[in-house]
Amino acid sequence: MAINPYDTPRGKFRTRAETTRRQFLLLMGTLASTGAVIFGSVEVLKFMFPAATGDAPQQFKTTFTFDELTGGVDGSGKAKAGATVRSITADRVSVVVDDAGIYAVYLICTHLGCTPNYVPNVTSGSGVLDAVAAARGDRTGSEQIPNGWACPCHGSRYFIDSTNFYGPAPRPMDWVSISVAPDNFFVVDRGNIVAYRQPGDNTAPQWRLLLKTKKDNGKTLGV
Amino acid sequence: MSAPPKEGNPVRTFVDEVWGSIFRHGLPTTDKVAARTALTNFFLHIHPVRVKKSAIRVSYTLCLGGLSFFLFILLTITGLFLMFYYIPSVDQAYQNIKDLQFVATFGLVIRNMHRWAAHGMVITVWLHMARVFYQGAYKPPRQFNWAIGTLLLLTTLLLSFSGYLLPWDQLAVWAITVGTNMAKYAPLAGPYTRYLLLGGRQVAQGALIRFYVLHVIALPLIGFLLMVVHFWRTRKDGFTGGL
Ligand code: HEM
Ligand code: FES
Repeated sequence: MAINPYDTPRGKFRTRAETTRRQFLLLMGTLASTGAVIFGSVEVLKFMFPAATGDAPQQFKTTFTFDELTGGVDGSGKAKAGATVRSITADRVSVVVDDAGIYAVYLICTHLGCTPNYVPNVTSGSGVLDAVAAARGDRTGSEQIPNGWACPCHGSRYFIDSTNFYGPAPRPMDWVSISVAPDNFFVVDRGNIVAYRQPGDNTAPQWRLLLKTKKDNGKTLGV
Repeated sequence: MSAPPKEGNPVRTFVDEVWGSIFRHGLPTTDKVAARTALTNFFLHIHPVRVKKSAIRVSYTLCLGGLSFFLFILLTITGLFLMFYYIPSVDQAYQNIKDLQFVATFGLVIRNMHRWAAHGMVITVWLHMARVFYQGAYKPPRQFNWAIGTLLLLTTLLLSFSGYLLPWDQLAVWAITVGTNMAKYAPLAGPYTRYLLLGGRQVAQGALIRFYVLHVIALPLIGFLLMVVHFWRTRKDGFTGGL
């Protein structure tokens, strides 16, 4: 409640246009405290946003080598071990080998972020024909049944090229870069997305780490 | 009112003085003394001195607000006990919960009381709100208390959500993953909200300590202050009651 300076004995003789000392001090005090509150709130908010986090690094090295995964490369540039999938659940990545090469899928469900599990019979009970699934990925190896990922949280499912086909997931999972280190282990960089697809985009990404050259073909999608 | 102390008995005088300083009135023998006793006692004065008979009919409020408050007290007490064993560290939290269940004497009872009371409180608060709504008890002059009530509901839900992460089991981690990703979908502020809640981009140690602090200090305190205002307003605005 502001004090009305016109009620003070001195104020009584002043005209309205003048600012009394009390009014001036009141104004200055209000401005100063408002400023302090605003500044303080901004600083508190900034404090609550950590400047550095304890998040795990985006890059990691696999515990298996190029040769352990592929079984070596044959004359036509294919993996001797055939098509395989190796999942590193703790780091949320599946490494897939197919006829064209190697790619890594970042296992973050595009619905609400759980880790989908690799399953060898991803279409079962979904009403999706095996033929449709087969077209999404070349399964010539030991795995003749359509394989892919299923999310334990709300049941989204993905073909082996990470395209979603069932459940609430709105779009395919992302592919991230994978390369071969000089010591023959793989380096996966989850900060480097090589295939990003919007909802409804079912294009099969062409990016691959080529088996013959151990270099990627640079065919990124949507990034 | 205590009788004047008997001459020459210092112990008796001392006891009477201490007793008299705590309980300002004798046993309430008349309505007037009963009313004064309630008015001068901090704990008793939470309840009104005089209520309309119609307002204390159980079928009227179904006691839902009172039950919610009772469960909150129960959760505070059991939560306090859980805090003696629980360490908010990703390496220890899950083991602490197991210890509570299998090692600490009566730990299982305390944990289950906390968990069931938490479910119960969410239910009673919802039902309390529904009761107020269907009776139109939110209408003037009680709009302000309806607003406080919505904040209390929010606080209850946030307490329930933040407590859910603490056991650090699969259910906890993925529920918080899903929950904070929902927050991320909010326009503009979404990603910032998630970062703020988790103290990072992953559900990890940073998230656990944040949820712990919110769960055991910030939210209970906010809830308590809101309840103080809520109860004060119920008293001032009076009951809507079969007039
Ligand atoms: C001052 C009040 C409270 C304190 C100090 C407190 C403290 C704690 C602590 C230390 C835990 C971890 C132990 C455990 O998970 O069993 C916990 C868990 C939990 N709290 Fe609270 N809590 C309080 C109030 C509440 C309220 C009001 C609710 C909900 C309405 C609530 C809901 C939960 C839930 C759902 C869990 C997980 C229970 C479990 O998995 O066993 N808490 N709380
Ligand atoms: S988070 Fe994967 S289906 Fe919901």
